[in-house]
Amino acid sequence: MLSALIAGLATGALYAAAALVYNVMFSTSKVLSVTTGHTAMLGGVFGAWFMQAFGLPVPVALLGSIGVGALFGLLTDFVAIRRVLSRSDEHLWLLSTLALATMVQQAIALWWGTEPKPFPRVIAQDFGAGLLDQKYWLPVIVAIALAVGLELFYRRTLYGKLFVAMSEDIFAARARGIPTDRIRMLSYVMAGAMGGLAGFAAGQLTFAYFALGLTLTLNGFIALAVGGLGSNLGALVGGAALGILSSIATYYVGGEFQQTISVGLLMVVLLLKPEGLFGTRNVRPV
Amino acid sequence: MSISLRRALVGAAALAWAAGAFAQDAIRIGWLSSLTGPLSSAAIAENQGVQFAVEEINKAGGVNGRKLELITRDTAGDPTKAVNLAKQLAFTEKVHFIIGPVNSGESLATVPILARAGIPNLIIGSVDELVDAKKYPNAFRAINTNRQWIEAANHYALNVIKRKKIAVIGDTSGYGTSSAKTAAELLDKAGIKPVYSVLIDPNKTDLTDEMNKAKAAGADVVMPWSAATGLLARLLNTRGDMGWDVPIVGHPALMAPAIKKLLNKPEYWGNAVAAGYVSTTYDEKGKLPAKTQALIDKLHGKMGTGEIDYMLWWVALGYDTVKIVEYAVKQANGTDPKVIQKVLENTKGLQGVYATYSWSAAQRNGFPDHQIVMNQANSFKDGAYRAAR
Repeated sequence: MLSALIAGLATGALYAAAALVYNVMFSTSKVLSVTTGHTAMLGGVFGAWFMQAFGLPVPVALLGSIGVGALFGLLTDFVAIRRVLSRSDEHLWLLSTLALATMVQQAIALWWGTEPKPFPRVIAQDFGAGLLDQKYWLPVIVAIALAVGLELFYRRTLYGKLFVAMSEDIFAARARGIPTDRIRMLSYVMAGAMGGLAGFAAGQLTFAYFALGLTLTLNGFIALAVGGLGSNLGALVGGAALGILSSIATYYVGGEFQQTISVGLLMVVLLLKPEGLFGTRNVRPV
Repeated sequence: MSISLRRALVGAAALAWAAGAFAQDAIRIGWLSSLTGPLSSAAIAENQGVQFAVEEINKAGGVNGRKLELITRDTAGDPTKAVNLAKQLAFTEKVHFIIGPVNSGESLATVPILARAGIPNLIIGSVDELVDAKKYPNAFRAINTNRQWIEAANHYALNVIKRKKIAVIGDTSGYGTSSAKTAAELLDKAGIKPVYSVLIDPNKTDLTDEMNKAKAAGADVVMPWSAATGLLARLLNTRGDMGWDVPIVGHPALMAPAIKKLLNKPEYWGNAVAAGYVSTTYDEKGKLPAKTQALIDKLHGKMGTGEIDYMLWWVALGYDTVKIVEYAVKQANGTDPKVIQKVLENTKGLQGVYATYSWSAAQRNGFPDHQIVMNQANSFKDGAYRAAR
């Protein structure tokens, strides 16, 4: 039972990290990008590749994964967001980000293969460590660090304040002279880097696997909706709740209900508290 | 237009006409392969066998003087694509035979279509429902059935290593669910009720609970029925990390070379046994059956003498499917589907590399039970395995 909790917490932390990635992109563009999970997938695959194919030390491979994630964030903004947002207010970004996510997943499948591949040990540790194994705790530490870091970034830095300004009212921000396109691009690069880091940290848990992206995109979204869109604390709580609940449900009733439980959680929260546990209700000024 | 240009055009037209006539004369084989996408590793190896056999037969002058023409289509493991491509092969390309698709899920979708089109279809998916002499008279299975794998593994667990407390593990995919169900049914027939059975999401990141529960239930053998290498590797890792020396007996994917790289320690692969084939199992002297060795020698001749790093039986199966086409066309003295069906229905003991095939009017499963054998999962060498004792 304890192992179900810890394993659930670890997977939940990865969902939480995906929810944070959503938050960063959403704050500046009001877009829920389908590529969210794929940033983490790229982090895991490239991390494994850097370490195994080139024998790079862990810190260098980690930086590489973050870099690949950041580049992918930049590409997402450039290919799937920029023109779509400038031309239309409709939710066409859903299609453009889905298209990019699918293309990237297919490309990785062709290059990397469709079988999961191993992710090397990040810290020297014996495999008999049981529940203290790094594969459970690295994602948890990284998710908490990302959430704390984001809060500090929003509160203490000028750029963070620009993000907040844009999330509150993008037109007012632009009227005040904020270069909104550049800030949005920066937010996508940052989100990509965060995803790459999370994917690297969870690599031993998930293996380096091409199809991780869509699962994370879906579960990250559930974590986000449960916790409340825009709230970093909500993302952490939502992710952990989803991970632990799925894991415990699987423990008691078996794996065939795992997806039903997670989507069921989303339905319940949306019915009882549509804005999520820590979300703020949007009041439209009349 | 100058005269020489006109001549050239006339010449080209004549050449095109001749090529068309040749193409009509060729025996056209449609090959539905999932060269990309899930299970692509099996398909890529099968493709080598298929291509190799086609080249070999064509080099020797074809079948009854007709060349084989291979038309390969990549289904990417997607049933919808498989259906479209099967229709294209049947109605546009007008092929004489179709081999595949590779995955059972795709075959379930294409078999009825090819039955209506009346095209002989060699089945290489293992799910039991794929063949039916009445509904799909043109479909003949070359691979074993899933049930045959499970029966062999159950026999090994119950009668060879004499275990009675069985934990059955399936995955939540269609294949995993139906296999786990069949395994439970067959055990039930033998008077055994599993002490623990569970279905697991193939991408579940941690199997500690499932293995702890199996142990707590008193399991003395764990039988996984899943083709997901990630899941199987996690199962082996969890058992190793727990320090639990329970035998794991099950699906052939347990011995896939891809598993090795996913293990925390190489020794975690020990005490694991998977259903394999007589044709790709070394005997006590370390020799393979003569036909298999001959195929390996030919492969080495073509691709160099390096170690074969994929499961050889996929290549042998692919190779055999084309040889079955060759045999059927020779016996039928043509490609008339009705005659081909009669020929295959009356086939007894057709010697292939992968197996010896027999079909009848009522039986469309060509693979004999006794050519399945249990292999030590960690004994992979040059594409083949050692038998489990």
